[in-house]
Amino acid sequence: MTDRVSRVRGVVEAARAIAHDSALFEALLPSTGLSREGVRLALDEHLELEPSDEELARLIASTTPCVHVHVILSANVFVGALRAIAIARASSERVTVRPSSREPHFASALVQAIGHPDVQLSGLAPSEGEIHVYGHDETITDVVARAASGVVVRGHGAGLGVALIDVEADLQACARSLARDVVPFDQRGCLSPRVAFVTGAERSRAFSDALHAELEEAEVRVPRGRQDDREAEELERYASTVAYAGSLSRGRANAVGRSTTVIVPPPGRNVHVVEVAGELGALLDPITRWVVAVGASDLSWARSIAPVHARVSKLGAMQRPPLDGPVDLRR
Amino acid sequence: MTTCLRVDEADALHARARAFVKAFEQSAAEPESFDALALDLARFQASRSLGYARLCASRDVDLRHATRVSQAPAVPTDAFKVTRVATFPASDERVVFRTSGTTVGARGSHAMRTTTTYDAGALAFGRWALVSDLKTRPAVLVLGPSPREAPDSSLTHMIDLFARDLGAPATSKETYFIEDGTLDLVALDERVSRLVLQEVPVLLLTTSFALVHLLDALGGMTFKLPKTSRVMQTGGFKGKSREVDSAELEAAVIEALGLEATHVVSEYGMTELSSQFYEATLHGGTRGVHKEPPWARVIAVNPETLDPVPDGEIGIARIVDLLNVESAFAVQTADRVRRVDGGFELLGRAAGAAPRGCSIGIDELLGGS
Repeated sequence: MTDRVSRVRGVVEAARAIAHDSALFEALLPSTGLSREGVRLALDEHLELEPSDEELARLIASTTPCVHVHVILSANVFVGALRAIAIARASSERVTVRPSSREPHFASALVQAIGHPDVQLSGLAPSEGEIHVYGHDETITDVVARAASGVVVRGHGAGLGVALIDVEADLQACARSLARDVVPFDQRGCLSPRVAFVTGAERSRAFSDALHAELEEAEVRVPRGRQDDREAEELERYASTVAYAGSLSRGRANAVGRSTTVIVPPPGRNVHVVEVAGELGALLDPITRWVVAVGASDLSWARSIAPVHARVSKLGAMQRPPLDGPVDLRR
Repeated sequence: MTTCLRVDEADALHARARAFVKAFEQSAAEPESFDALALDLARFQASRSLGYARLCASRDVDLRHATRVSQAPAVPTDAFKVTRVATFPASDERVVFRTSGTTVGARGSHAMRTTTTYDAGALAFGRWALVSDLKTRPAVLVLGPSPREAPDSSLTHMIDLFARDLGAPATSKETYFIEDGTLDLVALDERVSRLVLQEVPVLLLTTSFALVHLLDALGGMTFKLPKTSRVMQTGGFKGKSREVDSAELEAAVIEALGLEATHVVSEYGMTELSSQFYEATLHGGTRGVHKEPPWARVIAVNPETLDPVPDGEIGIARIVDLLNVESAFAVQTADRVRRVDGGFELLGRAAGAAPRGCSIGIDELLGGS
């Protein structure tokens, strides 16, 4: 147990060592597509560098010891490499890591900073132990199909976050907090909230307006990064659909739509506010399997509604999960 | 405005749309300009559909002053999945066609107060594309569900229409050969054998995946249809069979069914539309090029700006359909197309944005492309 804790602590120490590496910072700008402020925000506020003993104990309890873990980082937010490697090290002394081809810098720097002969970069899948794959369903299916006999594949798929705003919540404060959850990583993480549920027509309208204003203000502090053509196309498609089905506020780098039905906007900095008139659970149902995180104004109320597999946290803390195991608790 | 006035106005627009169909059937000149009717439909829909009025407002479009149909925004197909796209109350619905389901459970729906206009257009252009060279009515055989099995499918509705109006009289058992998703090859074989003896040509109406099932069931054997028979195939595979390249499938069908190369005709349609598009191979058209009827236009547009792209360049299809009188006269799809001589090429659905993190992509939510 002590060994496993110290191995995980070693990963955290390594992350601390690279968090202010200026060469790494510059390399992350093109590979993440985030703005300078976006990369800085991710490194300063969303890298879990101060885990408590209790959190580490939970992280270790979430793993099964094995001889070798191969980590495939196919699609994850870049700081997610810390958690992924920490979990792998909790499981095994020997860890190999295949970084994302799109953003290889952070994981590579972290492996280098760990500086342990049993932690290496490698593209080769193991013949024993476990493969931890962080990616979209297609990738996970592919890895499962190719894994050697006897190798356990643990897949961590794509998902999204939702916000639940209760009937008594201070809408302005909730909007401010939700904007703090939307901005990091330009919503490219599975914890990023993309749909917010608000009861009542008037309150949902007021919340949409407040959120739009908060995202506009956030854009000044932390500009959204690069948007590629496909993302722009998806945003146009969402905008047209919402303009027809409800209402839409477009900002410099955000879109806040509102309707009585669930419409999931593309990542970027876009939130769809669902005006809840009846039972919230029924509205959530179609997207439940993808909900990884729930942010709420009232935690006990949210826990009674949220999918059992979702991480539930206060609004504003959705992107700061404790280092206590995988962020994605779906099985 | 009273209900009667609203219906009168809609009926008048239906009549104008059907006049295009009638003119086509009579090889006569178009009854009026395409754009004039399209703009009147746009104005009607904006005045009767809050959603369309909002879409116009979001683009700062004032249809009262619009002079070109391109100024009127198209309704995205996604809107049919999340809200009702109709200019009349639900109580007046005669039929609601639904798209196949997606993984988020949202099925698109297209409500119609009347199918008269839809039926007129489907029959006229279907007859032209599929059987206009035949001197006798063909036997219509269907590899797909019957209306009893799929009452809310627009494709099944159209196929049933073809069976009744383009084909020789036949019972349902003599027409439909898939039940509960299973192909009855024995019954099909018996029916075809009789038709061969009677020298009655066959019009085989089928989805692409059913055609693959037929080929798989034949296991390499030939299954010759009577002379001058033809096949209309439509739709994709959507996990219902192994995927086969369209050229490869056509070649295999021609070989297995003993057809002339021009006698396999691809149809392109969607639940959100009232018009269909066909390869005009029976009229000397090029394989892979779909032709529009005079009452519909397919425009390739830039996916981001939604402005038309030059002929020969790839864009996503904005479809102006004059028969969509009481829903959306213009529909914006995510299907990639290219305008070429004689029509347009279909190039598959636009790929979603490549994942840059672990957030779920729109394509994944909607069940992939």
